[in-house]
Amino acid sequence: MSESFVVLMAAFLAVAAITVGGIVYGASQSRDLEGWLIHSRLMGPILVWFLLGTEIYTAFTFQGLAGFAYANGSAVFYNVALNDVAYAIGFLVLPAIWLIGKRFGYVTQADFLAGRYRSRNLGIFVALTSALIMIAYIDLNIEGLGAVVQVIGKGAFNQTGADLVGFLVLALAVLLGGIRGNAWQAVVKDILMFIAVVVIFFTIPLHYFGSFGNFYHNLATHASQYLVLPGKAKKLGPLWLITTVALTAMGQWMWPQWFGVAYTAKSPKTLKLEAIFMPFYQLVKVMMITVGFAAVLIFAGTKVNGNNVVMLLALRTFPEWFLILFTIAAVFAAIVPAGPIIMTSASLLAKNVYAALVPNTSERTVYRLTKWLVFPLTLLAFGLAAAAPALIVVVLLVAYDFISQLFPAVVIGGLFWRRATKEGATAGILVGWVVSGALLLTKHDPFLGVNAGLWGLLANVLVFVAVSLATPAVDRGYLEDFLRTAFPQPKAMAVAAEQQVEG
Amino acid sequence: MRAAIWGWLLTVFLVYFLYVGASTLWFNYVSPFILGMPPIVFWFTLVPIVAPGILALLYWYDRRVNPQWEKEGSWDV
Repeated sequence: MSESFVVLMAAFLAVAAITVGGIVYGASQSRDLEGWLIHSRLMGPILVWFLLGTEIYTAFTFQGLAGFAYANGSAVFYNVALNDVAYAIGFLVLPAIWLIGKRFGYVTQADFLAGRYRSRNLGIFVALTSALIMIAYIDLNIEGLGAVVQVIGKGAFNQTGADLVGFLVLALAVLLGGIRGNAWQAVVKDILMFIAVVVIFFTIPLHYFGSFGNFYHNLATHASQYLVLPGKAKKLGPLWLITTVALTAMGQWMWPQWFGVAYTAKSPKTLKLEAIFMPFYQLVKVMMITVGFAAVLIFAGTKVNGNNVVMLLALRTFPEWFLILFTIAAVFAAIVPAGPIIMTSASLLAKNVYAALVPNTSERTVYRLTKWLVFPLTLLAFGLAAAAPALIVVVLLVAYDFISQLFPAVVIGGLFWRRATKEGATAGILVGWVVSGALLLTKHDPFLGVNAGLWGLLANVLVFVAVSLATPAVDRGYLEDFLRTAFPQPKAMAVAAEQQVEG
Repeated sequence: MRAAIWGWLLTVFLVYFLYVGASTLWFNYVSPFILGMPPIVFWFTLVPIVAPGILALLYWYDRRVNPQWEKEGSWDV
């Protein structure tokens, strides 16, 4: 029996085992909509930390970052900055969204927007479009799985064949695993991933260069362009870093699956504590970036697909028993987070699109439809991966250009600016997508050094403000109540504000 | 609430500046190394360790100026 076969079979058996564990665990859990979508708003700081960690640190972190560092050098550090700035933004935004969600019974981002702008159609529009943008996230996890299959299979599969195996494994795991991704699976995945990341981070520099000092010295001597901006990638300079971090940090909480995490917490305090402790997770990213830099020297003179460098290094370096553990971690890093992402996408279509358009749809029908949508959505993601293979990080950067366009409607209008209207929000989002899409399709990203998505966002904000001012505002009394929920005041001030509104 | 929002905005800009401003202004070169690391690697290793402290300060400030926000279901405080 070949080593490749043993490693792949062991990894897939472990996936099957954890899926069965998820089914057994899930059987004892609440089966109502709030239960499986947002865990009945009962999660404490530790579980939310793992849940967020699982959904944010995926195949993208495990394989994508090293690949982007290998291909583009220090521009990869944008990704370390993005999450931390987003956590700082989330410190205030997520508790406000939690308070509104609890008061009005919202479980999705589309519920929130439909409620704020008093527009069912805006909710349907955002649910439909964001579910489609999320396919990019499913795509990158399929590409991550494909890289595992391709490298460990030692050439038995071409890239499309490997992605196909990745797609089948992912779709089956989510279909059989039931309707919920659970936080305990997340704990197992995170522990495995931590072990694998720490081991590869220390092993690669020590094994190939003798010490970290020697490794960095070699890197600075033979590949110094990887350590400055702009360096290896001439188009990705300091202005690109500054604008990309701004865009993606605003975009992070616009992903429906992460926006939804705000609703899983049991109190605003839980979410604030997350903002404090989540940045420690970024050290995992720095470790994988370091591995990517090491790959530059190790694979010097060889042409390697960036997505494959981590698995190639593991294959070349580790004994078989550890390679099995490493492969299991890599497969989990893709499958465990992809499950909730696919489910969120499917549930947005079932709950916020289908059920909103067809009156009297039962919760049971929403459940069934959600499950039926898993396969077609994953198939679409596979189609995207096969039609446009790209570096994992590039897939995500393009997706951010689009998802970030929700920021003005969700945060500026949703929490702060009372004059924002549904017409302004819709027009702004559409213009943002058109501008970003046009720049991307004409290969003008970055444009004048600035991330294409940020040009889209600037156009979006201008149109959002102009159209909002030109259209009728949402009822003042309703909005005062809505926003007072987000930012509660001490009792005396609250009573005075209420009297003022009534007056 | 106004003080809490200003404190939050200031923190967001501080974290943002540390990552993109400080790194491009003062750490965008190859050598000399800092603590045995290339400057940009050193900086992007240090800031994730410093950021929790900055956010913890914001948390402490927020609790002082905005205590009603801590309570669950606090719309009816």
